[in-house]
Amino acid sequence: MMRGRAPWPALVFLVGLMHGALRGDEVDATADPAMVEFFEKQVRPILVERCFGCHGPEKQKGELRLDSRAAVLEGGTTGPAVEPGDVESSLLVEAIRYGDLQMPPKSKLPPAEIEVLTRWVERGVPWGVESKEAATTVRAGLDGSSEFARRARFWSFQPIRDVSPPAVAGALADWPRNPIDLFLLSALEARGLAPAEEAARRTLIRRLTFDLIGLPPTPEEVAAFESDDAPDAYDRLVERLLASPRYGERWGRHWLDLVRFAETAGHEFDYDLLNAWRYRDYVVRAFNLDLPYDRFVVEQVAGDLLPSPRRNPADGSNESIQGTGFYWLGEGVHSPIDVRDEGVRRVDNQIDVLSKTFLGLTVSCARCHDHKFDPISARDYYALAGFLRSTRHQQAFLDSDVRIAPIVADLNARKRALADRLGEAASRLESPRRDEVEAVLGRAIPAPPSAGDFPPADLHAWKASGDAFAIATRPTAFRIDLREDDSRLIEAPAGSLHSGLTADRLQGVARSPTFTIGKPFLQVLASGVASRVNIVIDGFEKVRDPIYGGLTRRLDSQETAWINFDVRAWIGHRAYIEACDGAAAEFTGATTNPVDGRGWLALLGVRESDDAGRPAEAVAARNIALKTLLRELEAVDSPLASRIASTLAEYRELAARLPDPTLALAAIDGDGEDESLMLRGSPKSLGEAVPRRLLAVLGGAAPEASSTGSGRLDLARTMVDAASNPLLPRVLVNRIWKQHFGEGLVRSTDDFGAMGQAPSHPELLDWLASEFIRRGWSIKAVHRLILGSAAYRMSSRSTTEADQADPTNALLHRMNVRRLEAEAVRDALLVVSGRLDSRLGGPSVAPHLSPFMEGRGRPAASGPLDGDGRRSLYLQVRRNFLNPMFQVFDAPVPFTTIGRRHASNVPAQALTLLNDPLVLDLADSWAARLLAEGGPDASDASRIDRLYRQAFGRAPTADEVARCVSFLAARRRSEPSSPRAVWGDLGHALFNVKEFVYVD
Amino acid sequence: MHCGRFSAPIDRRAMLARCANGFGAMALSALLREPAFGADAAGPAGATGLHHPAKARSVIFLYMDGGPSQMDTFDPKPRLDREHGKPIAVKTAPTQFNNVGAVLRSPWKFNRYGECGAPVSDLFPHVARHVDDLAIIRSMTSEFSEHTAANYFLHTGSGLQGRPSHGAWTTYGLGTESEDLPGFVVLNGGLIPPGGQDCFSNGFLPATFQGSVFRPSAEAVANIRPAESAPGGQLRKLDLIRDLDRGVADRKGRPDAMEAAIANYELAYRMQSAVPDLMRLDGESPATRSLYGLDDAFEPTRIFARECLIARRLVERGVRFVEVLCPSVGHDRWDQHSKLKEGHERNARAVDRPISGLLADLKGRGLLDSTLVFWGGEFGRTPMAQGSDGRDHNPFGFTVWLAGGGIKGGVTHGETDDYGYHAVVDKVAMYDLHATMLHLLGLDHKRLTFRFGGRDMRLTDVHGELVTPILA
Repeated sequence: MMRGRAPWPALVFLVGLMHGALRGDEVDATADPAMVEFFEKQVRPILVERCFGCHGPEKQKGELRLDSRAAVLEGGTTGPAVEPGDVESSLLVEAIRYGDLQMPPKSKLPPAEIEVLTRWVERGVPWGVESKEAATTVRAGLDGSSEFARRARFWSFQPIRDVSPPAVAGALADWPRNPIDLFLLSALEARGLAPAEEAARRTLIRRLTFDLIGLPPTPEEVAAFESDDAPDAYDRLVERLLASPRYGERWGRHWLDLVRFAETAGHEFDYDLLNAWRYRDYVVRAFNLDLPYDRFVVEQVAGDLLPSPRRNPADGSNESIQGTGFYWLGEGVHSPIDVRDEGVRRVDNQIDVLSKTFLGLTVSCARCHDHKFDPISARDYYALAGFLRSTRHQQAFLDSDVRIAPIVADLNARKRALADRLGEAASRLESPRRDEVEAVLGRAIPAPPSAGDFPPADLHAWKASGDAFAIATRPTAFRIDLREDDSRLIEAPAGSLHSGLTADRLQGVARSPTFTIGKPFLQVLASGVASRVNIVIDGFEKVRDPIYGGLTRRLDSQETAWINFDVRAWIGHRAYIEACDGAAAEFTGATTNPVDGRGWLALLGVRESDDAGRPAEAVAARNIALKTLLRELEAVDSPLASRIASTLAEYRELAARLPDPTLALAAIDGDGEDESLMLRGSPKSLGEAVPRRLLAVLGGAAPEASSTGSGRLDLARTMVDAASNPLLPRVLVNRIWKQHFGEGLVRSTDDFGAMGQAPSHPELLDWLASEFIRRGWSIKAVHRLILGSAAYRMSSRSTTEADQADPTNALLHRMNVRRLEAEAVRDALLVVSGRLDSRLGGPSVAPHLSPFMEGRGRPAASGPLDGDGRRSLYLQVRRNFLNPMFQVFDAPVPFTTIGRRHASNVPAQALTLLNDPLVLDLADSWAARLLAEGGPDASDASRIDRLYRQAFGRAPTADEVARCVSFLAARRRSEPSSPRAVWGDLGHALFNVKEFVYVD
Repeated sequence: MHCGRFSAPIDRRAMLARCANGFGAMALSALLREPAFGADAAGPAGATGLHHPAKARSVIFLYMDGGPSQMDTFDPKPRLDREHGKPIAVKTAPTQFNNVGAVLRSPWKFNRYGECGAPVSDLFPHVARHVDDLAIIRSMTSEFSEHTAANYFLHTGSGLQGRPSHGAWTTYGLGTESEDLPGFVVLNGGLIPPGGQDCFSNGFLPATFQGSVFRPSAEAVANIRPAESAPGGQLRKLDLIRDLDRGVADRKGRPDAMEAAIANYELAYRMQSAVPDLMRLDGESPATRSLYGLDDAFEPTRIFARECLIARRLVERGVRFVEVLCPSVGHDRWDQHSKLKEGHERNARAVDRPISGLLADLKGRGLLDSTLVFWGGEFGRTPMAQGSDGRDHNPFGFTVWLAGGGIKGGVTHGETDDYGYHAVVDKVAMYDLHATMLHLLGLDHKRLTFRFGGRDMRLTDVHGELVTPILA
């Protein structure tokens, strides 16, 4: 039952108290004939004419109906519509007066009508005669209802059945190669159909190679397979391809479609999502490694929370945490007016992608109301939203513990030794020098005035990412400025949260607990250089002008001072403070940059305040020039002075060896908070908070009571429990099937709900899902099963009779002909022309900008036309400057999960292959390659043969050779030019033969 | 499969008769540029052509990038004169720049025009002459105060990226009548709106319905110029491609998808000549040139004039949806956060005469009745100043107008309050505008759906009511 809390809690409380008392008055109000007449003659006509359209028997927008007195008093999702007798407290009156709520939405009522309704409320909401039916309004939510139970019986929510493949007898009994074929064959036979014959070997190797690695086979590979008579030739081919690093690139790209992968945030300035490419490489590695899928899912949902994350075997870096990058690949609005709304939108997109990708469910449909078709309530939606509300964005440090922590430990040990020696030195020196040294070794700072119960004021409760931040404690509460010519010891007040205690080169970000902004000003006592303090409100991290410029401050002072932030506009919002020394994005310029990590930052206190007045106490940190100190010490204790000098030298040498950290976009836990129900999805109308849990239909498990953060790890673990969540394996095996056959067993790959399509072979789907789990959630095992079937080997050639009986090929009586995806078209062009650079991974190649790619956020420089020959996967995906060639060939706009791309047919595809400079350039390279490989004396026919084998994986027919030969002759005759130009023209024509982009 | 020799323009019917031989339905539909949803939609087919008789055949969408001010164009507010320089007397909503100044009067005078007597400011002396053909909506509202989200909303009915543009929905519903041009063309005068190409996206619809961005210059479309410099070079190649394709398709049992792709080359080939033809304006009479302001002294006017003239030529050629983008005026787009007077003057100067010329020309050729013309921005501007001489974004009430195809001329619909700040009478939501435009094209916005992500998606989401008082 969705009984919301109004945005005016005090008012609702009052109404609640008064409700009982009003029941008595109800009778009176209806009993007075004058009042009844007033209602019937003046009020009811207005209600009927102006309100019932949306709040009557037919529709109940906002769950409000105004056709009975009980219903009016009951109200809608924002609470009771009227407060009988109290005009000023009645929502209805506020709405018709066009306050924050405005009704009727189209036009304000005429003043006379507003007056009538106001008087009606004033008079205690008298009513007339009403039918019994109207008098009892029942608002039922989906949760726990019989409707929920009915919907939960839908096939996709049922446990995975333990099915045995059907037995097949008869003429085709020896067709099946594995159980998949038994399922398919029995369905075909039931319709009197037979599977198509097996495709030719050259067709199979082309199909397999594109399917598994996204590239065409080389002529040599085709020849080897065609002549391989061993019984396991096919299986070995499959294994070779599955073992290729290209496999991860191919299947990683499919995955990126699901998580709306992009490297910028779109909207007005198309800000960079720094290091987003690391998520791409993470996915590629995971596929190549055949990371068990349940593990893969857990890592993406909560890889930052795993107690022992998976490590990259090559460099020891944290792999698991990179999975959580997927949360942050969505779009982001530049300077939104309503930052809470923007946060809600971001979470909506995260839930949309999470639920479609992993569960094949459209949970986002339940943001504004219970799902219209599936057993997903609005409460389910907000229960999930809480996990994301409790999750923050970070640049995670992937290999600090491997590469940086050991040096830091070493540095800290030396610093302690240095502190000891300095302490010793102090005792040898006279005052005031002696006092100075002692002070620098750890002066307690006067604690800022008590902040009361203001969570960020407790610096110990802040959480740090990276290597830089620590609380300064004696005796090492000082900073060493390591400049060669003027090294200094600088005090770092004990108790401060400091990023420069070990070395300025270290980077890190410290984040405060989440708090509610309660006062107009937020003040931070800090000093620092080349560092930054941000106020992150409602999770909005793109802090910059025009609206948010005041919430980020670059620090550039050695002096400690209170920094004042004006947060008047956000009172009541949830926020946290971020202290950044590198390792965070800065949005203040036209493009996104990382915060300069070469500085340091010291935070001494945080408080909230009613006035902006800045207490006048900029305090300079004491510092001591080491040169002077050592000179003085030299005079009294020369051995000590030289010990200190040598320790310093070692320290400097060690600090210089600190590498830059490896950063990746990732999640980090904030404080666990539940999200509130929102009327029609709007944060302006909040209902009660919904405890975090998984969807009720999947068991509804909540995080362990002991969990303090978001609880995502518990969520992830319940999501991958196939016993309660049969969707996870079903959705994934269906995705793999889709990529191999062109269509899924469930064609709506991202929607296994009632609006999706029913499985064509439900038993087969369950059998595959069971095998998937049985084989340790191995994706490669599913490939082997599918590719090992006789069905996958069928020819695609259509026959009229079979196509009539099975027009959409739902029964798979033959293989489907498929057009290559955009990326595969370009990759094939690169391979065939010999221009492919096969390096794996790394930062993306900047997009080539044609004159047609204009608009705000356009990068200053264009990338290379050929993308340096890198695979399409590695071309940077800028939301506002998507690759035109890819768009033409149906690469999806990255905004939500796309498990099934279109394969449309537009003239721009032909124009691209006919006239695009890249295509021409590659045709030219292909010709050069051909002429070089075959030698100067090769015949036309042999060269044509070579081109055909490279482009299509087969020899040309005699007719094709003849046509090409006559093309060459005509070409030479009419335009005498170099052989390279002539062959380039032929190659260009072959790029345009449909066989180049279709796989059969 | 290419017909004949790729050169002689042939009768459409004859061409179909020749091409259709041996083609599947898919190929035919591709050739006719009819909606291909049956072939690709994940769910049941969406629209099936007209839902009811159409008033308009095509749309010209004059997008006023940045948001023109309603109080300075079509919605005069005497209260601004009275209270100029004083604090505004109503509660103000947060604005993007949050630099709320005093009430700012309009620097322009208004005069009444036409039989309807609608007031128009001196910014639009030429358009003003057509007020009897315009339905001026003074109560337009949006839900977003940022350009990008507001642009997506105006163009796609959603504040987010990746939804199909109204042009994509329209061509999805109706296809195009052009044989050699795409159904949805965007003329880029220089200013790509914030939000970029996604304002013209096919979103989750097939790429067929993507807006094709044309520059009003010699090379209007990417890759439209044949790569081969020698005469006949491309034809020779296309002949070879056709012959080789035919062999391949035959051997593979003529799969529909491949057949359709083959047919596609025919359209691409024709586009290569149709697009330059479209851009060649030397056949237009001096009278027409001057009507649009094609030789105006102000360069942005010349650019926009060219776009408007090309828009007419596109409509003549059967293109379904033409969006016209503003030229740069050496100042900001219609986004005058400061220097309202200079900025609006330059922007208005660029578009006023060309739009007037377009309306007159369409009317003179009998095309206005079947062409729905829209004018407007993503939002309006505030009645109070931003700083001293600018106006901030205002989605709460602003003016747009419609003309032509099924629109009742001389109508003013809706009202804003005395300041021109909030729409208060007959508010029109973006969904209502979209629903009304589709309606005039013969499409029911509730039935124009596409199954995606578990829902039958619509341009109007779950909203939209017809603005009936402006319908003829």
